[in-house]
Amino acid sequence: MFRFLFICMSLSSINATLAQTCCSGGIPLSNNIGLEFSEDDKLILGISYDFNNLNTLKNNSETLDDDSRIRTTHSVLVNAGYSITKRFSVEGLFTWVNQRRIINQFDSENIDQTYGIGDAIVLLRYSILKNTKNNWNVNLGLGVKIPLGSSTETSEQGITLNADLQPGSNAWDMIYLVDASKTFDFRPTMTFASRIVYRQTGKNDTYFDDSIYEFGNEIQTYFSISDQFLITKTFINPSITFKYRNAKKDKVQDIDIPNTGGDWVFIIPNFSINIAQNISFNAAAELPIYSRPDGIQLTPTYRLTTGLLFNLFNKPSALTIKK
Amino acid sequence: MKTLKNACITILSLVLISCSTKDTPNNGNGIPGGGGGSNPSSTWLIPINEVKDGGPGKDGIPSIDTPVFEIASETNSIADDELIIGIKRGNVVKAYPHYILDWHEIVNDVVGTTNTTISYCPLTGTAFAWRSLAGGSFSNFGVSGLLYNTNLILYDRATDSNWSQILQQCVNGESIGEVPEKLSIIESDWKTWKASFPNSLVLTEQTGFDKPYGTYPYPSYRTNHNFFLFTPSPLNPALPNKQRVFAVLDNTTKSRVFKFSDFIGGNAIRDTFFNSDYLIVGDENLIVAFKVSGTISNLTFTYDYDETETFFKDNEGNKWNMFGDAIEGPRTGQKLSSAKSVTSMWFAVAAFFPNPDIYSE
Repeated sequence: MFRFLFICMSLSSINATLAQTCCSGGIPLSNNIGLEFSEDDKLILGISYDFNNLNTLKNNSETLDDDSRIRTTHSVLVNAGYSITKRFSVEGLFTWVNQRRIINQFDSENIDQTYGIGDAIVLLRYSILKNTKNNWNVNLGLGVKIPLGSSTETSEQGITLNADLQPGSNAWDMIYLVDASKTFDFRPTMTFASRIVYRQTGKNDTYFDDSIYEFGNEIQTYFSISDQFLITKTFINPSITFKYRNAKKDKVQDIDIPNTGGDWVFIIPNFSINIAQNISFNAAAELPIYSRPDGIQLTPTYRLTTGLLFNLFNKPSALTIKK
Repeated sequence: MKTLKNACITILSLVLISCSTKDTPNNGNGIPGGGGGSNPSSTWLIPINEVKDGGPGKDGIPSIDTPVFEIASETNSIADDELIIGIKRGNVVKAYPHYILDWHEIVNDVVGTTNTTISYCPLTGTAFAWRSLAGGSFSNFGVSGLLYNTNLILYDRATDSNWSQILQQCVNGESIGEVPEKLSIIESDWKTWKASFPNSLVLTEQTGFDKPYGTYPYPSYRTNHNFFLFTPSPLNPALPNKQRVFAVLDNTTKSRVFKFSDFIGGNAIRDTFFNSDYLIVGDENLIVAFKVSGTISNLTFTYDYDETETFFKDNEGNKWNMFGDAIEGPRTGQKLSSAKSVTSMWFAVAAFFPNPDIYSE
């Protein structure tokens, strides 16, 4: 049961967002990490597709009546995690990205886009508290974002596109993670979980060859409630997550860039289901319920995510029923 | 169970299909990845590696194509120190406030009977006006989303060619090499303008776009002399980068720069450079320049702004407005020849016209 909940939680984390007009344009990196392992020598593979749509133009907290600009990010994400011991695990997150900027104005549509391999994350994770008696679990994680993606993609005219549209950032970031979960006896299938991910960004010191660009540091905090229901002999695992995200301003030459950074709160309904032995299907939507970008920015309108999770070397935890 | 599996597969398929088709690349020219200027031509008259993608994208900053005006004397919403771009064609006098242009950069207008494109680049502080022509035909202009040396690159909607604002030349595309017909403008503070031309027309916020007018889109950019989104080249430390200056340009890459601090309280300067004689007259808010030749060369000019249309006068008893029109005196009806000039942030003059001369008394 516990393992199922962990998997359900990890599925619910495949909701992700770095959603804004900058920060790799919304590639869901830092919040797709943190696969849960209940035992050693276990391998989990996840593949998901993520569509992030930014079509809401805001000036601080004011929503402007202007939908002419659309910023989308299509991402394919592959997670691979392995539990070396019961407490210690390592995982990687790899991406393929298509960034698009679309302007519908004056009866024409203009599109700029890039695509290719995006940046990746490698995360080491250690469980500092595994109290099965009290159903507590606390983990710490330390990771690094590896700049595998290109940051010098050009338009068809050969003009280098700006940082926001690039598949990669050309900067090494540090990722710090802490998460905790708890179940209660009154309903053992229900899990309350929280996690905090802090991303300390590095600098791209060859931005446009001779400039230095740095995305703003960001913190994301999650609080989620998930549960399990048996429907026609199949477990359905819904969850609801509230997410707060704060991003500092991007910098160029160590000077803050206007119209970057801000605060956002999202609600993320999610469900997962076992569709075959060791394979879970996940679908989620991420909807903003509060956003206050700094200055004028496109902010997230919605995000859709679907994915599959493969639980290897073991019987699928999601089918394990505690009696 | 089978039903649920099928439902999941269906959801997955629908999401993939909807997300991948919702914004299938299909720009107006059928060229995906247009890069903010989707002209297929790869030839540029400026170094392409110094052309930058500004971020908003082509038309991401929308031009104003149907401007709405009101009479200056009836306008109370503009602060006295707000800068405006002024143009006069015959008896038609119009003003375009910076605080609106900050969000649009281009106004396609008809001034008198002339199709006119007013452009203003908030990153260099430069404004120009030219006839709305490309390839010999009428064309509106738009914001390409590209920058050259931090300065606006316009595109024309007739040939989709790219035009450098400060160079005043088509630098890429079908119309490459074309030079627009420049129209004289001035940059003034609102108080001076309103007093000088109370019956002029001023652009209103009724642009058809929902923009936060009154909020400068690039906070700290104007005051932080080291802050550039894209570093221009060359930089010249002779003056602070963002200092507002007035530059007289010749037809090559030369310029002579006048500091507003030399005009505090009003000043009229006769100067000779680029093998021509010039009159430069202004105050701490507004400077204008004229070429002087013929009998005009014999006149002595003095600053004489008196909160009316008169901006300067001469020893012959003529009074002149800021556009160089003689509005009183024996030369009434005559017009001075406007010099090719621009009000700009210092760094832009230094980048586009390296090693400019700086006037000093």
